[in-house]
Amino acid sequence: MKQLQTDVIVVAAGLSGMAAGIAAAENGAKVMIFEKSNTTGGAANMGMGPLGVGSPIQKEHMISLTAGEAFRKHMYYTHYKVDARLVRDYYFKSGETIEWLMDMGVEFLGVQRAFNAPEATRAYSDGEFTWHVVKPEGGGAPGPRCATAMIKKMTERAKELEVELYMETPVARIIMEDGRAVGVIAKDPDGEEIEARAKAVILATGGFGDNPEMIKEQTGYEFGKTIFNFAIPGMKGDGIKMAWEAGAGHAPCTMELMYQLPDNMNHFILDGAFRQPCLWVNRNGNRFMPEDQIANTTFTGNAISSQPGYVAYSIFDSKLLKKYKKKGSDIMSHVHPHDLFDHFDDQWERDLADGYEPICQADTIEELAEKAGIDLEGLEKQIEEYNEMCEAGFDEIFEKDRAYMQPIEKGPFYCCRQNVGAYGTLGGVKINHKTQVLNEEAKVIPGLYCVGTDACNIFGDSYPFILSGNSMGFCLNSGRIAGENAAEEAVEY
Amino acid sequence: MWLTINDKQIEANEGMSILNAALGAGIYIPHLCGHPDLEAVGGCRLCSVEIDGMEEAVPSCMIKVQEGMKVTVHGPKAERTRKTAMELILATHPADCTGCPKYGKCELQSMYQYLGVGPERWKKKSRTVPTDDSNPLIRHLFTRCVRCGRCVRACRELRGVKVLDFQRTQEGVRIGTGGNISLKEAGCKFCGACIEVCPTGSIMDALGQINEEASYGERVVPCKAACPAHTDIPRYLRYIKEGEYEKATAVIREKLPFPEALGCICNHVCETACKRNELGEPLSICKLKRAAASVHSDDWKKNRKIADSTGKKVAVIGAGPAGLTAAYYLAKKGHEVTVFEINEKAGGQCRYGIPSYRLPDEVMDREIDDILEVGVQLKVNTTAEAPEVLLKQGYDTVLIATGTHKGTLLPLEGNKLSGVILNTDFLKNARRNQIRNLGKKVMVLGGGNVAYDCARTALRLGAEEVHIACLESRDKMTAAAEEIQEGCDEGVILHSGHSFLRITGDTKVQGVELQKVEKFYFDENRKAVIELVEGSREIIPVDHVIFAVGQAPDETEKLGVELNHGFYVKVNSSFATNLPGVYGAGDVVTGTRSVIEAIAAGRQSAVEMDRYLGGDGDISEELLEKETADPFLGRTKDFGNLERLSPPLLDPQERKNSFDAVEQTFTCEEAKCEARRCLQCDLRLNVTNPKLWNEY
Repeated sequence: MKQLQTDVIVVAAGLSGMAAGIAAAENGAKVMIFEKSNTTGGAANMGMGPLGVGSPIQKEHMISLTAGEAFRKHMYYTHYKVDARLVRDYYFKSGETIEWLMDMGVEFLGVQRAFNAPEATRAYSDGEFTWHVVKPEGGGAPGPRCATAMIKKMTERAKELEVELYMETPVARIIMEDGRAVGVIAKDPDGEEIEARAKAVILATGGFGDNPEMIKEQTGYEFGKTIFNFAIPGMKGDGIKMAWEAGAGHAPCTMELMYQLPDNMNHFILDGAFRQPCLWVNRNGNRFMPEDQIANTTFTGNAISSQPGYVAYSIFDSKLLKKYKKKGSDIMSHVHPHDLFDHFDDQWERDLADGYEPICQADTIEELAEKAGIDLEGLEKQIEEYNEMCEAGFDEIFEKDRAYMQPIEKGPFYCCRQNVGAYGTLGGVKINHKTQVLNEEAKVIPGLYCVGTDACNIFGDSYPFILSGNSMGFCLNSGRIAGENAAEEAVEY
Repeated sequence: MWLTINDKQIEANEGMSILNAALGAGIYIPHLCGHPDLEAVGGCRLCSVEIDGMEEAVPSCMIKVQEGMKVTVHGPKAERTRKTAMELILATHPADCTGCPKYGKCELQSMYQYLGVGPERWKKKSRTVPTDDSNPLIRHLFTRCVRCGRCVRACRELRGVKVLDFQRTQEGVRIGTGGNISLKEAGCKFCGACIEVCPTGSIMDALGQINEEASYGERVVPCKAACPAHTDIPRYLRYIKEGEYEKATAVIREKLPFPEALGCICNHVCETACKRNELGEPLSICKLKRAAASVHSDDWKKNRKIADSTGKKVAVIGAGPAGLTAAYYLAKKGHEVTVFEINEKAGGQCRYGIPSYRLPDEVMDREIDDILEVGVQLKVNTTAEAPEVLLKQGYDTVLIATGTHKGTLLPLEGNKLSGVILNTDFLKNARRNQIRNLGKKVMVLGGGNVAYDCARTALRLGAEEVHIACLESRDKMTAAAEEIQEGCDEGVILHSGHSFLRITGDTKVQGVELQKVEKFYFDENRKAVIELVEGSREIIPVDHVIFAVGQAPDETEKLGVELNHGFYVKVNSSFATNLPGVYGAGDVVTGTRSVIEAIAAGRQSAVEMDRYLGGDGDISEELLEKETADPFLGRTKDFGNLERLSPPLLDPQERKNSFDAVEQTFTCEEAKCEARRCLQCDLRLNVTNPKLWNEY
């Protein structure tokens, strides 16, 4: 067995692990990062950018949101069910973290929000401009994956600080001695065991989105049946399991809910095309929310998760399709292509021919209900009521924006089932505001820290889309907090 | 010669490409179609550089270094070419990586991290290609293909198998076989080189081959990983293929001292793990090992190392495979080792538990002699003192390796009648030629290999009618399939799926009453549940009953160490018992397992005991110089359908009258033929991993 010795060990080189490693090294610690894949950045390679409040960029854009205001918004959104001190420390650090990244050479395109609420609900659910979108290295418009430019700079920074990166070297467990974390056992690419010892260990392995058994066990959802979450390969819950094994307290795990089509990336055009404020019903044929809210993926995901069978159906008719093709979609998203309906026929025909299961087309409502598996009586009644309201120009039930009151009357009809989705998992390991791991009695386990998704217990039951960029934001800032504290613990001056 | 790259003077060899010279000097130049083991083709253009005196940017993989050359990697022209090249690659590659099994281990992902994801200037061309899971072992997910052609070059040039190529289809150029036939039909050798060199997730191991728990090396070469002693199977099979038995034996002997014995009786879990199972039947690894070992060459002894004496004394209790293996390695580490054996000969279960028609005496004698040769003292007919006493007598450490030599008697009516025998006693006495008057009809109770050993031994001792009865149905029996078949050929009558109700008779066995089993399973508390078929009772008249329903350690309570489950010696992960300096290994710890597991435990306990004695615990040895295997495989006619060979067996009617070895050894030609079927999975590990930007 190979023996290694350092000050601070970080388990996994995703966004939070890199932030922790850099922060610890900047504070004088010798750092080793063990990563099981051969690329840094983990899930952040798919992302676009982190949250920050009070950054120079926001000032430049005259965005006046303060850290205190963000903190209060967050706490009201979560009904104070989460650790206020940790939330406070996170937001108050987040603006400076943007500067920290800029000093490394990361460039931001500006600051965005993920969601702008329709006027009628703006008071309750509007998004703040907190999302710092990373400027793609080659220029141009940002899209998914543009955060890789940030990961590159962070990797370079870590190397400059002589952080030792051990790639393809998964950690198996934490070495505990006298109730203290003193190192880890890892396995190098040839399968040889490594015993690495340090004064502090920081866990940052990104949750368990790719571990269906653990999802079932911890959240009750069944992958591929009741939930279709992003399953980023490698997110097996390693860090959470290691922490629990070492005596860490359990914080309830949740899924970061949204909604999507099964295998959505191979049906991306349809994924976007049916995210329109047309008619949305549940399996009984009943509407269940004002459809003008469906761009709010968090709320819609939550709503679908409360429907029978965890599904909903998005339906439009030929007239509406014709309108979408001519004038473009009612709701644009920054994730889907803007010329969705130019490609609709292609993808629709192909997917119908391939028997893509969530979709169907029918000439009559009766046939549609049969094919989609919706209760016919309920659907017929609902459409009748809905069409009457469209004619009257007012949604008496949910007061949906009248611009979207477009009847469902002319066949063929198009229907797409929507499933509960999720970005990943959240939380699991109990930590304090210094990101120190706590046992079930809320006592600190010396030498052990946990950050990022593994320890993200601050969202309550739903992703706080009102303060967008929160997943990456928490990863970066909790990572930095841990790195600084661990270095303080490890380095003797 | 010297040249300048990015204003840095570097040295390079004549004939090198600029790319390789730069990479060798620690200067990173992005590249995707280039691979350290493959000829450059200048396809991807990511490695473009500018050279003083040249108008345009050029791919650095295609230009040879020249004295005094001045190269700039990040010049504007080169960067423009590179950027465009990357944009074109990404325009045809799926934008979302979250569902890709290569996520986090993908060269393309690392590349876009380095180069950035540029603006989408090119019309996204969705080229969805259905995932092809129809081939064994190799999965094609060509939606992700970037057409770098590495797999084609690996298949054609590196391996000479010539299966993959660029194919024109209606949807454009794709990688595939000519005429889109299956890999097997095309002559694929399933070496996996294409998987190894693919920079994206386009060619991957089939789903069943991915075990997250195992390391990469273990996953790629599952036979070696499955072998408890981790024998380098593909390496010795390569020697057998060349007819170089001496070398093959040396490779095996690097990991264990009983090659021929194992060649006769190993339970060969390696064959279960063999990837060739996916093409039909596995390699006949066990029997090939026997063929190699049967030449009895002493060549391997040339490089055998025996350390100088340490002056430390080791006592090993029990001369079975675990004890002898530990003794061998400890003696080689310079310790003075004494093995105490209660029986008149060494070998343990290999001698007294396994009949000689499966494992002949001479084989054991020869391999034990090799062990004694390194200075191991063997004391037969000797009952060892308790470990604590041995320590007091001056031994520095003690290994308990006494195995499981006490047969289990089931609580069954009639189990005390005359004519009831225990498996262990029966087999041992048969070996000692001490069985007279076995009678005419024998019933063996139990469904494992030992039951067959008893039954087939009984036949050889003159029994006219031999029955086996066991609870399990034939397909669930623990006996090896070939054992069942060979027994059947010799005339053993099998009553599988039967419960034994009682043994009939007054003072002497007269019969066994059986009843058919409807269902037999273990409930959630691991308790056996047996449901019987009404009205299916019958009495089989026999005059002897042999219990072959398991065995346990004998007299372990006298050892003075902590025990597990009543009889078994309890050890920690370092094979140490609760008494300092006293270790345990083999069946006495684990319960009855295979010989190879006992040998592996013998090795591991030797490591721990050597460390305890102040040594470094390194028992690894190189008996044969490490060669680099030829990466070139070439084509073999109908490779995918080559059938597994089995060594010939003696005729059942003839063999059941004697204890001659039933199974013959492969002839050299047969062995070469069989070894040729090996996929040589380990060659994959010799393929160089391109270094990613973050490693520079």
